[in-house]
Amino acid sequence: MSRRALAVVVGAVVVGAALLGGVRMMVNDAASFTAQTAWGERDLTGVWRAAPLGARSGRDTFNLAKLEELYTPEARARMKALSANDDPTMRCAPALFPRAAMLGHSVQIIQRPGFAYVFTEAYPVFRIIPTTGRPHTAPQYLFPTHMGDSTARWEGDTLVVDVISFNGEGWLASPLDKPTSASTGVWLTSDALHVVERWRRVDADTLEYQARVDDPKTLTMPWEAPAITFKRQAVERIEDVLCRPEDGPDTYLTRLGS
Amino acid sequence: MSVRKLAVMVMLACSGIAGLALVVAIGASRVSAQIRTYTPPQTAAPGADWTKRIEEILPPGVESRAEATARVAAYQPDPVKYPVPRTPWNGKPDFSGVYWPDAVVTQPPVALESLYRPEAREYRERGGEAAGLINWRGIDTPNYHCWPPSPVEGSMGGTVQLVSAPGYLVLLNEGGSNFRIIPIVGENGRQPSASRTPSFQGSSVGHWEGDTLVVEVTNFNGKPWLGNAQPPDRPPQTSSDALHIVERWSRPDAQIFEYQVVVEDPKMLTGSWTGSTSRRGILPYDSVQESLCFLDPELDARHREFAAEQAKKRALR
Repeated sequence: MSRRALAVVVGAVVVGAALLGGVRMMVNDAASFTAQTAWGERDLTGVWRAAPLGARSGRDTFNLAKLEELYTPEARARMKALSANDDPTMRCAPALFPRAAMLGHSVQIIQRPGFAYVFTEAYPVFRIIPTTGRPHTAPQYLFPTHMGDSTARWEGDTLVVDVISFNGEGWLASPLDKPTSASTGVWLTSDALHVVERWRRVDADTLEYQARVDDPKTLTMPWEAPAITFKRQAVERIEDVLCRPEDGPDTYLTRLGS
Repeated sequence: MSVRKLAVMVMLACSGIAGLALVVAIGASRVSAQIRTYTPPQTAAPGADWTKRIEEILPPGVESRAEATARVAAYQPDPVKYPVPRTPWNGKPDFSGVYWPDAVVTQPPVALESLYRPEAREYRERGGEAAGLINWRGIDTPNYHCWPPSPVEGSMGGTVQLVSAPGYLVLLNEGGSNFRIIPIVGENGRQPSASRTPSFQGSSVGHWEGDTLVVEVTNFNGKPWLGNAQPPDRPPQTSSDALHIVERWSRPDAQIFEYQVVVEDPKMLTGSWTGSTSRRGILPYDSVQESLCFLDPELDARHREFAAEQAKKRALR
């Protein structure tokens, strides 16, 4: 073999190795972003926390003015007759999603093949979410609940959760949320509430959450809630704090470290 | 028809209407009276099996709680016929399932009560951390205040769901909807930490010893009762912030899981207490229902009234 041919071979090997290395590095980066479970789904496991969102002290950080516009005249009339004391979290009822995602308290997700489980730190409760795209619970076993009946499917990297069978008691925001001076701070739902959530792990430390809220009995059209960005917390589980009605939400949330 | 006859008929009709109205009014007052006076449900005599009353209303072929408990207690695990399910990620036993009922396999060697320090008596008499909140001399218990079930029973209620997931064992309680998240050492890349706010259920950290998950629970808030009070003789079995529980969770076969505890609380107990070995049978469901615990002030008041009445009756006996 001539020296020239040898140089070409060596050159090709060096370039090839460099290319392969580069590709592998890219694959590694992609892998750390993909964060797959052992059974090949996007891994949502972790303790996640977002900034508190709402419409307080003149700042509407969740576009609740838009939601308020969507209430039907009939719902508005009922809302006028209610006050902050009628908010179900006052008696420690858990906040439904997306409201639970606006609280600024940690949410934990644990995943196993076929299921995701969501746990809330404030007003503690768990949600069981089948992730195989199976139908909702059969009507004869379907009871109205605070958190609703969930079923989900993967659309690429996004877990799309369909939630029905709410009991109509939950509110969509806090009584402290008043986007306009005319706001009542009352955010009713009905048993026709239908929430579609999109959970997506954007990168190793970020989880994006977006909800579409439909409630034909109280809203004139569906509400596309703004996206919420959760950041990963360096703990392996959320806090265990009992909500006591005698504390009131303010004391309770302070005790929880809000 | 004469005017007189017509007048008589009108009078009769009027008296009929009035009579009907009277009957309706009496009926209504009865209904409202029924709403007003509260008749407490018949409680079984001490020691009687209240589940017998449920058996009376069960459809044929449906197992009662007593029958299910006896069946699960007498069950002989058969890992050949019902192999232990294993997780696809590490091959350890997969606890996932919905379980009911709770059956005791072996009784504790000694009664928990026998280990209580005499000097803790006064603290217990006052109800411990629940002083003022719980009137133990009635039949008021932590359950009525939506506290999680006793930690010596793994904070487990009646029907429970277990979830095995990479790095965790999770307990979901159907009654009260409380949950326990147990991180497992070496499965999640970092050493689980028990340091967080002390709580009713404490902070659990699990590790595998062969196929048994051993869970150390510390960091309790000093409030839980380990066992209920039995007035007037036995005050609440209170605990302290020094409570330390070691649990052993195992899955002898696919039909059951078993649970065993050793409890230490140097501020309350003179030595460590070995609890019963209990097990729960698996049910053919994959999810428990949402069933939250709410304090009902009216129910609470009625309950206290009833408790006071019962206490009075007992005192007279």
